[in-house]
Amino acid sequence: MSGAALTITNLSAGYHGSEALRDVSFSVNRGDYLGICGPNGSGKSTLVKVILGLLAPTNGEITLLGTPQASFTSWQRIGYLPQGLQFFNPNFPATVTEVVRLGRLAGKRFPKRFNREDAAAVERTMEWMGISHIRGCMIGELSGGLRQRVLLARALVNDPELLVLDEPTTALDPETRESFYKLIFEMNREKKATVLLVTHDTATIGRYASHLLYLDKKVVFCGDFDDFCNSTEMTGLFGEHGQHLVCHRH
Amino acid sequence: MDIAEMLSYGFMQRALIGGSLIAILCSVLGVFLVLRRLSLIGDGLAHVTFGSVALALFFRLHSFYMTLAIIPVVLACAMGILKLAQKARIYGDAAIGIVSALGIATGVMLASMAGGFNVDLFSYLFGNILSISSSELVIAAVLFAVVLTGVGIFYNDLFASTFDEELAKSSGIDTDRINAVLVLLTALTVVLAMKVVGIMLISALLILPAVTALQLSKGFKTAIVCAAGIGVCTVVAGISLSFVLNLPTGATIVIINFLTFICAFAARTLLRRR
Amino acid sequence: MKLLVAALLALVMITPGCRRAEHAGGKLQVVTTLFPLYDFAKRIGGAQAQVTLLLPPGVEPHSFEPRPEDIVRVNHADLFIYTSKYMEPWAASIIAGVDTGRVGIVEGGRGIPLMPAPHAEHGEHGDERGGMDPHIWLDLENARLIAGNILAAFVARDPSHRGYYEQNAAGLTKELAALDLRYRSTLASCPKKVFLHGGHYAFGYLARRYGLRYVSASAVNADAEPTPARLAELVKLMRTERLNYVYSEELLSPRVAETIARETGAKILMLNAAHNLSRDDFQHGVSFISIMEKNLQNLKTGLQ
Repeated sequence: MSGAALTITNLSAGYHGSEALRDVSFSVNRGDYLGICGPNGSGKSTLVKVILGLLAPTNGEITLLGTPQASFTSWQRIGYLPQGLQFFNPNFPATVTEVVRLGRLAGKRFPKRFNREDAAAVERTMEWMGISHIRGCMIGELSGGLRQRVLLARALVNDPELLVLDEPTTALDPETRESFYKLIFEMNREKKATVLLVTHDTATIGRYASHLLYLDKKVVFCGDFDDFCNSTEMTGLFGEHGQHLVCHRH
Repeated sequence: MDIAEMLSYGFMQRALIGGSLIAILCSVLGVFLVLRRLSLIGDGLAHVTFGSVALALFFRLHSFYMTLAIIPVVLACAMGILKLAQKARIYGDAAIGIVSALGIATGVMLASMAGGFNVDLFSYLFGNILSISSSELVIAAVLFAVVLTGVGIFYNDLFASTFDEELAKSSGIDTDRINAVLVLLTALTVVLAMKVVGIMLISALLILPAVTALQLSKGFKTAIVCAAGIGVCTVVAGISLSFVLNLPTGATIVIINFLTFICAFAARTLLRRR
Repeated sequence: MKLLVAALLALVMITPGCRRAEHAGGKLQVVTTLFPLYDFAKRIGGAQAQVTLLLPPGVEPHSFEPRPEDIVRVNHADLFIYTSKYMEPWAASIIAGVDTGRVGIVEGGRGIPLMPAPHAEHGEHGDERGGMDPHIWLDLENARLIAGNILAAFVARDPSHRGYYEQNAAGLTKELAALDLRYRSTLASCPKKVFLHGGHYAFGYLARRYGLRYVSASAVNADAEPTPARLAELVKLMRTERLNYVYSEELLSPRVAETIARETGAKILMLNAAHNLSRDDFQHGVSFISIMEKNLQNLKTGLQ
């Protein structure tokens, strides 16, 4: 099914009275790989939270995979990977398998029980991500990079149509970062998943993304990546010689 | 004094059964509470119960009607702790502290205003595991069924919310409702079980078996089962030992719990070194 | 919400003020710690004295902690009557806080020899009390001596009403003596000579006076809970002595007595050691003598 994976219209949102997003509108087609970047405090994380229903907007409309967000319930079609866990507890008694399996809860109705199908999906995903060998390890004992991989597996376990990633590799070393992005790119190219990647690492966007959204509380630029490279906005933001820094292609 | 003789006494039998039931449900709830840094909620809600008992005595409600009146008050305060932690930008432990202090102060204030009661208020609240009556045993059994059913129904949601609330929410889980379920089950446990086994034991059983299990367990389900097992074993051991060695029962149970924790901690440290 | 807090605060403020306002009328202002002292002082003082009880109704004296307000109240009084340093160790802090030049301090238990508390392998409170049993007033002979001490204090403080006080005291001691005789004759005729109490060890003096054997679940201090082994011992005692009744104490929860009763099929009766009264009893104007009468009735029933 083609069409818009995500449509945002006149979105405004904020925390405790201060405004983080002002009148944002854009749309993402299925199969697109959208890089979202902008300076610190530009509202990128806020945008992600609002899209996923974690924060209520003050104004505007969101349509997810063809359905208005207010009535959207099939969260298993969306995979989310944040920068890290909210309160990371190194003693949390969950194994890698249990964590990945948690991702399967998104598609379930009350009472939520796991079945053989879930176990199979978990195995498949762990295999694909190359983490089957640590299936019995405790999540807290893993390195940061492995942990993020497990959380990515959790996000992918339902084979989501839309993948939302909020600065997923900030705390990781360059090598791990590379393998991460390769995996995500494969999701986009082979499984035709729409990808929303929030990052301030514009070089990465340059290598993988098809579209770019530059955000600074409002939309500065949104569109085809190549167009961005030749736009006045780009020179305005990165300077005359910024093009080869930002727009180096894979 | 041997085991056979010990088991011949009705009060010992009831202590063992009632104690085990309450140990299991406290240990299970405790795993979730400890991981969410709400460990002292048992203590806090016990203080709220104190205030509620004073309120009930103030209106001259006794025994059954008192318990009936106290339950909604304590449940409301439990929700209050949740809301405070969410909205007032403070962590769970401070929220518990606030509500706890308020509970005690209310009790003291009411006792003073009432010009005294017919029964010493403080002593009224200290249940004693050795004096469990048959009706209290029934209450413990019903509570056991309700709490474990509740945890069983919402198990996966509780697990997801305890792991990471934001991720759980993004999976479509109503985390506010799940938090409320956990806290309300805890409140119900504190109110009813406190009368049966007393403040000291409730607080301890909500924390210690869970923490001990977390030292040793690999996997969430394992942690829960392990905590329940430790809860039962320490209670049974504590009751038996206190009988044989002529020691106060409640304190013996708590000390055994602590020693078990130390052993688990030592075991884990040694295993790590290998 | 703010209104409620303000109202609460106002209420708390007003209450002590009310008590202070009663200081008029030329009467002797007397503050007593325990109920028997209160009762005797009221009886002896009659219309010439305003007697108040320091313990609020329903509060257990062994765990009582005086507030600053209590010290102030005693300071405004003419006489402060307590039993002994063993019964009210907290009285010392009150006495230290008042102007002893102005306030007459009366030790109700002066001159009365104390019994040692039964050595407690179960209750571990061998603290400042030095292991003495402080419940002297439950021996009616001691009660008469206490009344005598109180009378002496009244007379010393207010010699002008000496005759009045002496007359009141005589009436009281006569009733106490008569009660003592009734106790003696009734208890002598009871078949059983042992009684078991689920509370703390309060009736030692009473038991000694009438030749009974007294066993209690807890030690002299009300805090310690009986261990399971102790409970088993008590249950065995009930069975060997074939006792049909077990006694519970006043004010505190009767859980221990209930446990023993449940185990042995016995019935429960109350033995009121009269430390303090419940709010209802207080409002009904119960007296020490009426409490002891009720105790006698319950003992008679239980010792069958």
